[in-house]
Amino acid sequence: MTFQLKRRALLQLAMGGAASLGAATPFASALAADDAATIGWPNDVPSWDPNQRFTPDAQPIFKAVYDQPLDQDPQLKLIPHLIKSWSQASDGLSMAIELRDDVTFHNGDKMTTEDFRYTFLERNKSGLKLDIANSMRKVQDIVIESPTKATMKFDSPAPTMPQWLAFLGSYVVSKKYIETQGLDNFLKNPVGTGPYKLAEYELNSRIVLERYDNYWGSKANIPRVTIQIIKDPSARVAAIQSGQVDCTVNVPVREVQRFEQESGFAAEINPITRVILIHARADLAFADKNVRLAAHHAIDKAALSKAFYGGAAVPLSVLATPGTPGYLTDFSFNYDPQLAKALLAKSDFSPANPVKIGFATTNGQFPNDYDIARAVVQMWKNVGIDADLQVIEYAKYFELNRGAKLPETTLYSWDNATGDPEIFSGYQLNPKMPFSPWKDEDIGNRVLALFNVADYDKRIAGYRDLERYAVENGASIPLLQSVVTIVRKKRLAYTKYANGWLLPQTLQWG
Amino acid sequence: MAATVLTLIARRLLAAIPILLIVSALLFCVLRALPVDPAAMSLPPNATIAEIEAKRREMGLDRPLPEQYVIWLRGALRGDFGHSIQFRRAAGALVAATLPATIQLAVAAMVLAGILGLGGGLLLFRVRGTVLEPVADLLSILLLSIPEFLWGLILLFVFGVALRVLPFTGEVAPDLPVPHLTGFILLDSLTIGRFDIFVSACQHLILPAAALGLAFSPTIMRILRSSLFDVYHEDYIQQARLRGLSERHVLLGHALKNASLPTLTLAGVQFGILFSGTLLVEVIYSYPGMGNLMVDAVRNADLPLIQAIGLTYCIVVLLINTAVDSLYVVLNPKLRVR
Repeated sequence: MTFQLKRRALLQLAMGGAASLGAATPFASALAADDAATIGWPNDVPSWDPNQRFTPDAQPIFKAVYDQPLDQDPQLKLIPHLIKSWSQASDGLSMAIELRDDVTFHNGDKMTTEDFRYTFLERNKSGLKLDIANSMRKVQDIVIESPTKATMKFDSPAPTMPQWLAFLGSYVVSKKYIETQGLDNFLKNPVGTGPYKLAEYELNSRIVLERYDNYWGSKANIPRVTIQIIKDPSARVAAIQSGQVDCTVNVPVREVQRFEQESGFAAEINPITRVILIHARADLAFADKNVRLAAHHAIDKAALSKAFYGGAAVPLSVLATPGTPGYLTDFSFNYDPQLAKALLAKSDFSPANPVKIGFATTNGQFPNDYDIARAVVQMWKNVGIDADLQVIEYAKYFELNRGAKLPETTLYSWDNATGDPEIFSGYQLNPKMPFSPWKDEDIGNRVLALFNVADYDKRIAGYRDLERYAVENGASIPLLQSVVTIVRKKRLAYTKYANGWLLPQTLQWG
Repeated sequence: MAATVLTLIARRLLAAIPILLIVSALLFCVLRALPVDPAAMSLPPNATIAEIEAKRREMGLDRPLPEQYVIWLRGALRGDFGHSIQFRRAAGALVAATLPATIQLAVAAMVLAGILGLGGGLLLFRVRGTVLEPVADLLSILLLSIPEFLWGLILLFVFGVALRVLPFTGEVAPDLPVPHLTGFILLDSLTIGRFDIFVSACQHLILPAAALGLAFSPTIMRILRSSLFDVYHEDYIQQARLRGLSERHVLLGHALKNASLPTLTLAGVQFGILFSGTLLVEVIYSYPGMGNLMVDAVRNADLPLIQAIGLTYCIVVLLINTAVDSLYVVLNPKLRVR
């Protein structure tokens, strides 16, 4: 028997196929409109172990599935969360905590101080290379007194431990679940105590969250949230424009300005607790203070903000953002190219005889990084600084810094979701930390001393002095307060956080 | 014929072994020459020099390069490509999770490129000598000059944003689950009897496959046309005409079959190129394939993952070439005689 496909039959088949493909509206959802929301997100989580990597962009996703011991309100004030109450010893060497007794993991297990100890002590001591080991490095022991009460013991004063318990990577994981199921199974089927359960995960594609109905706190408003990983900014713009997602972040500023004019959309450029700065070395050509200060005076930060962030990024004079405890309202470091030239002249440099320095930048690590670096190079050239621009991968930064291979200057973006000055200038200028290339005894000792100040007011005052001192000595060149852009359907409300978090549990259809 | 084809496949697969060894060694050396330290990058930023040194020893990075390669190769033969620096998971598992989506996309794109190439090639040939020839020529050159990522953006904005008839993010609608059987979502959805998932997956596949297919079809068109020109000078075409066969019959029944052989060879080569073209298209369409993963790996200097993906690309291209060569033998009786 032979089978001949006639032209008419072929056409009918093709039309039938096309009809069936077209019958299902491509963007239709089986769920009621207000029971679901889709967010276009630029990055996937690096791993479902929330203690493993400090990745600022993944925090809103982790905060949906896991809980932190302490939380922050939208203005970044520290508030109780899994920890109901806490008290720090006056010497800063211990901190007593009391956990809530009504918290359960998504598998129904109760969360206790055993889990707290496991997360913040045992995992770090077990040889797992977790980023959280860095923030918990002072934790010597956690003494369990009851399922809800424990005392954290530190090997040196840890006045900022409450802030660290609300920082990147500080999420309580289940001791019993990981020990019985194994780490690999935990990574495949993560269990947290957060307002959403992980329902589905497709690497580099999507994360489907379903509301956890036994959540101890306020229940999430939307039962199902899909986080669609869309890495390309143009594709994110297209996705929100076409209605394939209900909300998206980190779209180009010019697109935000366009969406502001469109009905049905709300678009915002929100300054956040992220600083764009130029890291400096204390040696090579930057051993000369005149050169360092000239490099700072030569930069027109307002022009950078206008050119690359629609003027929404606030020019900064210190390594802290407005509204945070370390910010100085009464200090500014002026853009003054003439002064920059005069400073360089003192060291026998001029536009005709420029000082040569290296300048490293990432390209694509944060919005417009490479373009900002190029603009700075031009500004420096005008006053007599000849910068050799080198592009580095962000992943290489720490390795280069460790080997003292970074050039005199590096463009960098530093995120501090807590807003605490220790995590701004304390980390950026600490010579013992891997973040800063500034290795100088004078400023280094000032920073290290502040790490041991237990009194809050004294500590903050100390950081304020340090920030001014560092800028006046050319040890830090803060540029701009970074911004996050959000475009959403007008009917979809969210809670705005000063650190830029867009938390799925705060989404609400109006 | 079956024996000839099997012999050819066996010979090809044997020849692939040294090629794979050379490619893997080259890949290994090039990646090791990059100024990045996989040991330091595998550890948190606060790792001490001693910890990095210990990690370096654990990873075998303190040994001579040839020895490092042998260690890596031994692992690769067992399916162990090391751990991804970025994801801190087995690189092989990450590749295995994303490869089916890329194969599915590449096959769909190649089918589309084949259909468009065949249709376009015949059309170009049919309009030869007419006033339409320069127009068709210009059109094919225009198509040839648009790369796949540009097609990706054009199609996305036309069909996704302006007309809103096709989705362009991910591989299935947000409210539908992704079945996990083989990783090939079209196959898996049919296996579990979920036609709704199948339809949604097809919709999500159309634009990325079209972007790739459109970029590769003009080459097929032009090769087919020039092959047709060549075979039309052969005696058997004249004889067919003398036998009174219609021009259409001569073209489709006689000329096309012979002209398709060089086109098929080219399509095989194109498939390899098309496979690597998935990189940018997958990023634009958020398609969860190996190309998307490769972009992440490169951005994060994730050497073990780059190496695993690079080698997988090489294996896939070699397999495709073997398949095309076998098909060539099936279609070309002269090769079977030899």
